[in-house]
Amino acid sequence: MAYVATRGGERAIEQSERLFREEMGGFDRDRVEEVKKSLPYLIDRVMGEASLYDEDLAALALAQTGGELYEAVLLLRAWRTTQPRLQVAAPIEQDTLFTHRRISAAFKDIPGGQVLGPTLDYAHRILATDVLQGAPYAPEPVEPATNPSPAYQPSVSAWQAENDLIDPPTNDPTKGNDIPDLTREPLLFPSKRAHTLQSLARAETGGVLALGYAAMRGYGQAHPTVNELRLAEAEIAVTHPDGRQFSAGRVKVSQAEVVDKKGEKLGIGYAATFGWNEVKCIAAATLDLNSPGAEKGSATEEEFFLYHTEGVESSGFCIHFKLPHYVTFQSSLDAMRDAKAKKAGQSKSSDMEPAE
Amino acid sequence: MSLTALTKPWEAMSYGFLDGSAKRELRRKMLKSVAVPGCQMPYASREVPMARGWGTGGLQVSLTLVNPQTRVKVIDQGADDSVNAASIRRFIARVAGTPTTKDALDADLIQSRHRIPEEILREDQVLVLQVPNPEPLRPVQPNMSIARQMHADADYGRMWLQLYEQIVRSGRVMQGASYPSLVHGRHVMTPSPIPRWDVPKLHMAKHLTILSAGREKRIFAVPPFTRVEPLVFSDVPYKVEEHGALTCTRSGTTGFFMNEIPRDDGSSAFEVSDSEWGVKTIRARDGNGESRGETWYKDGEMPQ
Amino acid sequence: MLATPAPSLAESRDNAAFDALLWTLSRPGLPRDLPEPGEQSIVPALLDRECLVYAADPLLMPEIMRTGAELADIDKADHVFLGAMATSEPLADIAIGSDYYPDEGATVIVRASLGAGSGVRLTGPGVDGAVTLQLGGLPNGFWKARAARLRYPMGFDLFFVDGARVVGVPRSTTVEEL
Repeated sequence: MAYVATRGGERAIEQSERLFREEMGGFDRDRVEEVKKSLPYLIDRVMGEASLYDEDLAALALAQTGGELYEAVLLLRAWRTTQPRLQVAAPIEQDTLFTHRRISAAFKDIPGGQVLGPTLDYAHRILATDVLQGAPYAPEPVEPATNPSPAYQPSVSAWQAENDLIDPPTNDPTKGNDIPDLTREPLLFPSKRAHTLQSLARAETGGVLALGYAAMRGYGQAHPTVNELRLAEAEIAVTHPDGRQFSAGRVKVSQAEVVDKKGEKLGIGYAATFGWNEVKCIAAATLDLNSPGAEKGSATEEEFFLYHTEGVESSGFCIHFKLPHYVTFQSSLDAMRDAKAKKAGQSKSSDMEPAE
Repeated sequence: MSLTALTKPWEAMSYGFLDGSAKRELRRKMLKSVAVPGCQMPYASREVPMARGWGTGGLQVSLTLVNPQTRVKVIDQGADDSVNAASIRRFIARVAGTPTTKDALDADLIQSRHRIPEEILREDQVLVLQVPNPEPLRPVQPNMSIARQMHADADYGRMWLQLYEQIVRSGRVMQGASYPSLVHGRHVMTPSPIPRWDVPKLHMAKHLTILSAGREKRIFAVPPFTRVEPLVFSDVPYKVEEHGALTCTRSGTTGFFMNEIPRDDGSSAFEVSDSEWGVKTIRARDGNGESRGETWYKDGEMPQ
Repeated sequence: MLATPAPSLAESRDNAAFDALLWTLSRPGLPRDLPEPGEQSIVPALLDRECLVYAADPLLMPEIMRTGAELADIDKADHVFLGAMATSEPLADIAIGSDYYPDEGATVIVRASLGAGSGVRLTGPGVDGAVTLQLGGLPNGFWKARAARLRYPMGFDLFFVDGARVVGVPRSTTVEEL
């Protein structure tokens, strides 16, 4: 009894998924391992946006989706959401971060020194085409400094606070389960500080960059100076039910502080995320810097940028327009035709505004 | 106490996919949305294995409500076999082991996008509507915080003004689907993008309707026997789509909401949008038994 | 792929308890059966560590503590278990939410006897015309105290439990004492 044009829908969707998977081919643990080893910055980006720190799962998600980033992040978020919450790790102070890279554009030198660490910032971006000719690329060995920089360093803003250049954020003593959790409660405005930072931490990199860049170009009031940018590893300290604290391991994190003059002091914007992702942190911190007092509906207003940089929501909504909308379309068409008929009845002018 | 005491035995997946904490939050919010009909209640809205905007809000409600005995029907644009309806139905059955059905009369729970079935729903049935945009005020106020304040103040002046301007400009209200409606005389809600044809079905209905927007993280409800009144001016009555006289070319049924199918010769054909109603009509026509229930519309008109 | 998971006993009980709560709150005044007598099955269906709970009945404490919910004063609690009420005074302190967030009005569970005692007539959403029921065991002035707190959409929502029977009266219901 073939009724609906799409009858056979179940079979069609199954076959279309098969086609996608067949074209991508199978994959195994070795592929996942290879993805993890060869694409650490992609893994970092995905872990940050998924707000799930697990390199193996991130690599698996990338392998399973053929690198369709929005799909990979959605896979990880959907997996994450069902996991039990065993513990909330102890808060981390900046000077406890095992730091690989820490630079400041605000001062020529900073307490603890500028630590360039791993970066492509000053590399010449020349495609290594000779690899395709068969010449393997082997990186030059790093020559260790005779005087290694300290692994643990205070933040630049701590120095500024001591020198009365900045009002440091008030210490928030909230701990453990009392810390507001964006994944367990809705984002409401004005947003809780924890929610804002969590939302930025899991925001989609490209989205944050687009809006942050708009602010940098002049659609924001504050011009960011990178006070400090840091790539580090953070210790995850959790408490055993018997009361002892222990380390559950270290995770890669990045964070950025950007500043701008605000009256007689410096205003500060902050962002941090899982994994090493400098662009995202600087752009997010710029949005944070610009958000106090931002005009409603502007790109630097908290509600505007937090809603619109949520990658799983925005990408999902974008692709949902592929779904059939013929009922709503039919309904609009009916209103349009009726209005047109009415107008034709009154005059010959047929210029009309369509339904939204 | 040991670390294992903090958690539960490992399962590959919870029953109904959602974990206990997600279900409890939804339960709490469902009760509140029933207690204040038409008022949008915020909820955390977990990610589910489906893209946002594809029915994740409705899905979370369904997954919370179902048990292995719940008979589930899923429709999209009125059709059970529409690809996304098929996908959602398959998912619910897969993670919750529920029996499924295409018959609206046979279902305990109906999850739907953009339509309410043509057959009258009973008091033991729950309708779950997927909602893309839960905020009826968005066309006049895109900022959620300001819109919330407007709901708190029952400040719907701009909404009325917009409808008035449309009448002045076009001779009628131009709203297609998602017609803003006043619930229990207090909150203006969007009935989700159902056509105007379907809105009267919510008014003083016997069944409970839960509307859920996963991406926008809002849930609201229309309990049974609750007033749902489309916003209209007293001198410009509410108008449903002019489908009352149209006949379905496939099944021959007349007087229901139709899909328009453009023809090569420039004309249009019509097919009834509620696909299972079409199937039942064909079945009856071919002498295979009468399975059609009572419908909201009679002879293309909604009885007052 | 993964096999369809089966519901645990706890899952089934929570599901059934909530089904009763949702049904009766959607149809004020019409009772429904909980899977077990008393408030015991309501607690795990609704509460977890994200809730603030006030309970007047010490016997409910172990069940509430198991959920990880935090105990709170009555005016801060989102779930209030009043047990068998001696006076209607506690109603004066229950959270009613705000115009902005009516969902912050509390869910209140009270022990009462259904089908005995004084009658009330309910109208409003969920009620087909009007429904009357007898609700005994409530303190004097209970309904007046409720009415005094109601500022719709602000208010609190009531469940009356009698054995395994539960009946809901949301804030949207107009109650008339007979």
